[in-house]
Amino acid sequence: MMTSWVDTSCIITVFLSLIILSNYRVTAMIRVFALQSFVLSLLPFFLHASSLSGRDIFIVLVTMILKAALVPYILFWAIRHVSMRSEIKPIIGFGASIILGALVIAGAFWISLSLTLPGKPASDLILPCSLSTVLLGFMIMVTRTRAVTQVLGYLIMENGIFLFAVSLFDVMPVLIEIGILLDIFVAVFIMAIVVNHINEEFEKNMVSVSRSKMGEAF
Amino acid sequence: MNIMISILSHWLIALTLAPLFIGIIAKIKAFFAGKKGPSLFQPYYDLQRLFQKNSVYSRTTTWVFRCAPIVNLAAVLVLSLLVPLGPFKAPLQFPGDIFFAAYILGLARFFMIIAALDTGASFEGMGASREAFFSCLSELALFMNFITLALLTHSISLSSMIGADIPMSWKLMGPTLLLVAGSFFIVILTENCRIPIDDPDTHLELTMIHEVMILDHSGIDLGYMLYASALKLFVFAGILLPIIIPIQMANPVIDMLIFLSSMLGLSVVVGMVESTMARYRLNRVKNLLLISFALAFFGFVVKMWRG
Repeated sequence: MMTSWVDTSCIITVFLSLIILSNYRVTAMIRVFALQSFVLSLLPFFLHASSLSGRDIFIVLVTMILKAALVPYILFWAIRHVSMRSEIKPIIGFGASIILGALVIAGAFWISLSLTLPGKPASDLILPCSLSTVLLGFMIMVTRTRAVTQVLGYLIMENGIFLFAVSLFDVMPVLIEIGILLDIFVAVFIMAIVVNHINEEFEKNMVSVSRSKMGEAF
Repeated sequence: MNIMISILSHWLIALTLAPLFIGIIAKIKAFFAGKKGPSLFQPYYDLQRLFQKNSVYSRTTTWVFRCAPIVNLAAVLVLSLLVPLGPFKAPLQFPGDIFFAAYILGLARFFMIIAALDTGASFEGMGASREAFFSCLSELALFMNFITLALLTHSISLSSMIGADIPMSWKLMGPTLLLVAGSFFIVILTENCRIPIDDPDTHLELTMIHEVMILDHSGIDLGYMLYASALKLFVFAGILLPIIIPIQMANPVIDMLIFLSSMLGLSVVVGMVESTMARYRLNRVKNLLLISFALAFFGFVVKMWRG
């Protein structure tokens, strides 16, 4: 078992979520998300370094193709014509959201103190780090106003859940995991289409702006 | 007598090697730009040229402006005594000297800022205000890193915080040290005005921070300022390197070789960061510094979690 590699992957995952939280360019955010998914997809290798099975390799390949290549590709496709390359007015400013993010991480560690997992996880950092990633993704989803960034927040939440699921790999049937991945894929696909349509309808797809514009019409 | 020798040898190493470090970074940047670049020893030539010149002072300036370069260089020289350089132990160490280190940096910065204000130029005042703002953020990250290191090594003396306990800590607290090293690297780039934060090569640009404050210094004063900033980079690298590469052999020659090669490695990394990244927009720089703080804080949290 390569615990130090697992630790490092956990740390990098949370770090990359923080980077996405502080970023304002949508293309850069998507790239960082792809990197995060790539790091996460390598986790089964690190977890079962001593006894690699076909199942591990299958999971690694599927996650890598789906989350590190296909999903970012679809997101790039969704924003290709759109003039929403940057997140201009988040509800909470970038500086404040980084500080809040740091506090959220501390909170996640504090909550994990009272959570116990069935069995012994490979590293004691997996649970708090997955919780932090979920919460940071949630924060991105809540505080950003662009539809694409909200989708990204949702995907980061899913990455957090994936990190958690991987640690329960041995007790979790592979089919469920694949099912979740496919769900995510379909969800992103639908969201990309929706984002595109919002764009066509309202020119700008800043959720709050479109809402206020609708108000002005009356 | 012994301490005098160790202090002098410490200064000798720091003073001779520091400009080389700047030269290597410049060479790496030239290499990435596809240029031949100035010689590795160009910083030495520059300093020699500057030391031979007299200074020109504006009539609006007072003694504050004149003593700032000296205070600056002296402060960094004192700081260098607290940091171990390869096989040479730090000549000065006492419990709590991290606070001394942080505030002697603060003293140097204070004199730089007040000298910039002393010139009465609005441009320099702008630089001074930026420097004050960004350094106050980077100090946050610096102290968070110091707190984490102090908790890891149960000591508040700089040379033992980055000393013998670090190899043990990598086994248990690898993630924490990784975060501390990452955060401290951003602090180094900030404190020494390297590229994602500030561009050391551009003069007269509206976005620059550090360079604008030394615009009015000339001749030997400018030489002092440049020497001090080269030394500062060297000293900061001397703090970071024992954390990343905590190898200590008993043999002083091998230790010195490890130290020099890791110094070379770090300058290559800094040069690569500088040539592959663009300078951040001024209003985004604070985000980078806050990320550095968040990393340090994350390291602290992981340390508390692992106990």
